[in-house]
Amino acid sequence: MTVVPAQQQQSGGGGSSGLYDVLELILDRGLVIDAFVRVSLVGIEILKIDVRVVVASVDTYLRFAEACNRLDLEAGPRKQPGLPDLVGEITESGAKGKSKGALSGAAETVSGAFREARGEKEEQGEARPRARKSTAARRKEEEE
Amino acid sequence: MSTYIYGITAGSHPSLPDGIDGVGEPAQKVRIVKEGELAAVVSDAPEGLRPKRRDLLAHQNVLQEAGAGGTVLPMRFGSLAPDDETVANVLAERVDHYQERLRTLAGRVEYNVKATHNEEAVLHLVMAESPEIRAAAEANRRADGGSYDDRIKLGEMVAAAVQAREAEDSEVLRQNLEPVAEAVSPGPESTGWLANLSFLISGDDAARFLETVEQIRTSHPHLEVRVNGPLPPYSFVEPGPAEPVRAARE
Repeated sequence: MTVVPAQQQQSGGGGSSGLYDVLELILDRGLVIDAFVRVSLVGIEILKIDVRVVVASVDTYLRFAEACNRLDLEAGPRKQPGLPDLVGEITESGAKGKSKGALSGAAETVSGAFREARGEKEEQGEARPRARKSTAARRKEEEE
Repeated sequence: MSTYIYGITAGSHPSLPDGIDGVGEPAQKVRIVKEGELAAVVSDAPEGLRPKRRDLLAHQNVLQEAGAGGTVLPMRFGSLAPDDETVANVLAERVDHYQERLRTLAGRVEYNVKATHNEEAVLHLVMAESPEIRAAAEANRRADGGSYDDRIKLGEMVAAAVQAREAEDSEVLRQNLEPVAEAVSPGPESTGWLANLSFLISGDDAARFLETVEQIRTSHPHLEVRVNGPLPPYSFVEPGPAEPVRAARE
């Protein structure tokens, strides 16, 4: 049998970040049947991470320039995933400290994540992870 | 009491998740509404249902349990019918359509792939590739960081190079993974990933799919690739706008 690395590592990571990665699918995809109504999603802010794709802005330019000045080219690209701040952004309460390795090869299976999440202390409140205002507002309009 | 619907499956599904916990606080018990050849996985709808974390988890969990034993068409979160009879009527009216979807998706699951750059690694990469960027960075470093204009100029060059890499790497993911998949569906937009793609994978191909992801991680160490799956085929229950499931409308 072929060993799938993902299957070995799923138990270590997981946590609720698995939920946030699939939240958009649960809320935006799936079968919609016109004979049924849907609960209102007004107010839910689906999007959970700061936009980390490059946005052309002075802030971005300065940040990159700063980063380039600090970079030690001799050291070569890091082999370990995740600058600390990136990991912080994508790590939710359930997944503390496990920078589940983007590079080390963990595919998070959702079932694993959910098993863990069910064992967690229940978090109260709406699913309202960190969201960028503009994105959230846009999303909100779409949902209404 | 209205009825909350999780998904639709074949009446012959061998292990329907009858009696497990569904949405609500306290959790409503899942039950099955059968109609002809089809079955709907439902529960009572709690009063004032909102998309709370525990309810989203419950919705996903019920589908995950149901999907473990057979193909299920997952409903989008929050679908409500006035009563079970309405659900049964919908199943009866659209039996052909849902049976076709169940056949098309039999033995298939969704894997969602999201990718971002490891910022430090991608900066190394664009500097290594561009003598101009290296020269500008070096000049700034010697000038104690450089003037404001110098820094903006360097940053602009870097941002353009990184953006080009984002587009390129998104294509790398798609082109490498698409051949292993039966269909691909772009995820909801503006979520801040350089790639956010859902793939429909036949169960037999799952190991090969994950191996391919692994190869991409190895060959592109500046990419942070997150894989979620196997999932119920959320993105493929209806022929998608981008790439309809093959044979969907034959």
